Amino acid sequence: MIDLALRVRGIRKQYPKVLAVAGVDLEVRRGEVFGLLGPNGAGKTTTLEMIEGLTPADAGEIEILGLDWKHHGREIRSLIGVQLQSTSLFNKITPREALDLYGAYYPTRRSAQELLELVQLTDKADAYHTTLSGGQQQRLALALALVNDPELVFLDEPTTGLDPQARRSLWGVVRGMKAEGRTVILTTHYMEEAEALCDRLAIMDHGVILSEGSPTELIAQLGLPSIVELTFEGPAPDSVSFSAHLGLPVDARGERWEIPTADPKSALPAILGAAETCAVPFCQIHVRRATLEDVFLHRTGRSLRE
Amino acid sequence: MLLWRQFTMEWKLYLRDRGATFWTFAFPVIMLLGFGFIFRGGTGPATTLVWITRTAAAPSDQALEQALAQTPVKVLRLSPEEASARWAKGETAAQLESAPNGHHLRVNSYLMAQGQTAAQIVQQANLVAQAKAQGLNPELIPVSLESPGGRVAPNYAAFLLPGLLGLNLLSIGLFSVGMVNVAYREKGKFRRLGVTPLPKWIFLLGQVLQRLTVSLVQSIILLATGRFALGIHNQGSYPEFFLVVIIGTGAFMAMGFALSSLANTVEGYGAISNLVFFPMMLLSGVYFTLDAAPVWIQKAVMALPLSPYIKALRGIFNDGAHLSNYLPGLGLVLIWGILCFGIAVKRFRWT
Repeated sequence: MIDLALRVRGIRKQYPKVLAVAGVDLEVRRGEVFGLLGPNGAGKTTTLEMIEGLTPADAGEIEILGLDWKHHGREIRSLIGVQLQSTSLFNKITPREALDLYGAYYPTRRSAQELLELVQLTDKADAYHTTLSGGQQQRLALALALVNDPELVFLDEPTTGLDPQARRSLWGVVRGMKAEGRTVILTTHYMEEAEALCDRLAIMDHGVILSEGSPTELIAQLGLPSIVELTFEGPAPDSVSFSAHLGLPVDARGERWEIPTADPKSALPAILGAAETCAVPFCQIHVRRATLEDVFLHRTGRSLRE
Repeated sequence: MLLWRQFTMEWKLYLRDRGATFWTFAFPVIMLLGFGFIFRGGTGPATTLVWITRTAAAPSDQALEQALAQTPVKVLRLSPEEASARWAKGETAAQLESAPNGHHLRVNSYLMAQGQTAAQIVQQANLVAQAKAQGLNPELIPVSLESPGGRVAPNYAAFLLPGLLGLNLLSIGLFSVGMVNVAYREKGKFRRLGVTPLPKWIFLLGQVLQRLTVSLVQSIILLATGRFALGIHNQGSYPEFFLVVIIGTGAFMAMGFALSSLANTVEGYGAISNLVFFPMMLLSGVYFTLDAAPVWIQKAVMALPLSPYIKALRGIFNDGAHLSNYLPGLGLVLIWGILCFGIAVKRFRWT
């Protein structure tokens, strides 16, 4: 019990027109990097905002570091660090001032200079917030999430809108947090990010959690560790007759067919044979290891970026 | 201390928005100078009477002209064509046309207040002229423009200054404080604060204190402008005057905050605040008398905070009265302020 940083039971949120979160249970251990993976509109942000105390939950229990919102709101707030999906600050505040000001709200705080260095914003330390680029604002938001030296950090889509280099450097910051013993809970719709950072993750869609585990566990749960891909020039043709002939399910996705298989060694000749018989005009074929994207596809029937 | 930090940060950010800062301080000054120069002299607003010139002037016209010269009505002589063009544009409040068998007055239905006043003065001047023609020497009853405290000011703008300041502070509270808060919340500027342990009341009080000092600076600038540009002097004590400013501003800001918790969008807030602002302004009895209103409205209006607030400002500034004369009224303002602040803290939301 004591090693849990977060325990969530059956939280729900009904918005006027949509059930955003339809009963979510989560358990996150201390010191772990935990990811909520799902497409836009899956309910990740609403889930996170209920846990952060920003949006009241309609039902369910939330326990953060052994404390509950009802009796220990202030205490929880001083122990957690939050990066919102979009952090809108006052236009004419500078990063240094923002870090000093927000730091003053907490009993323990880290120096603005140290945080500016951590997120590589020292050269923009005294520029107005409105003059910062999207990536710089995102990095400032990350620094603000660390201003109180938090035990538990929430990052809502921390790398959305960042260029690949900035994304890598942010991954470094997140790994640094883990190395310092912090618990990190993040949301993302990039599966490579989830795979690179998360010890465990939960796949979420339509307000519910579909499956949970470490990235390797989730892929192993799929039972189909390999994917054979046939690529076409232009949109892929209808796969129904080919699939019937082959006797395996085929997912037509844009310009390719994907055929999940547990045994690529025997599947490959069968696929080639069926392609020959059905005169399938593919131009390339290759076999790859299943990824979280495939897990997601398998669970929801749609891809993450759709 | 956190409140102090919040307060100084608010000031810093406020001053960086140069345009808003400039207009906040410049607007009441421009209004005061405008009124000061329009209403130079102590008589207050004058009205213009258009008098259509006719080719064959009757001797009675001259007598009427002499009589009118002693009234505050300004006479503008125009040809029939010019007069009808001006009338058609709607710029004329009252127009006098003289025919061989007598005069005729037209009053603009949209400018009734000024037109009626001008018309009545013309009637009186005409009676005076007629009496004089009969060899009598009628006398007009002298009229003076005085404050309730019996003071005559050399510049009519002196009477406008406290009311202008009071109304300006009310509109700052309702529009700038309340509306800005709704706009910030709508744009999500408070969300990040909502995940920190910063208590709402410190955040709100920091804003109130900052705006309070803004309004104090504003009052000082306005008073200085009145004094050095228009020769308008505060007849009462400065500390008492500023104390009243502080009480009123604080109350109206708290009112703005309380109202802002009722609206989710800026548009929604606009409707709500107008619903409060206009009745308060029109029904406060400060700018119009409520003699004609039903008694229950007159009684209900007595509970509104604008009226005692403006009365105290005017009394101290124009009549040199003491704060102690206005304690019950100011107590009412204070109660409004505390209630509204309580509601604001209770209902304030970060998102």
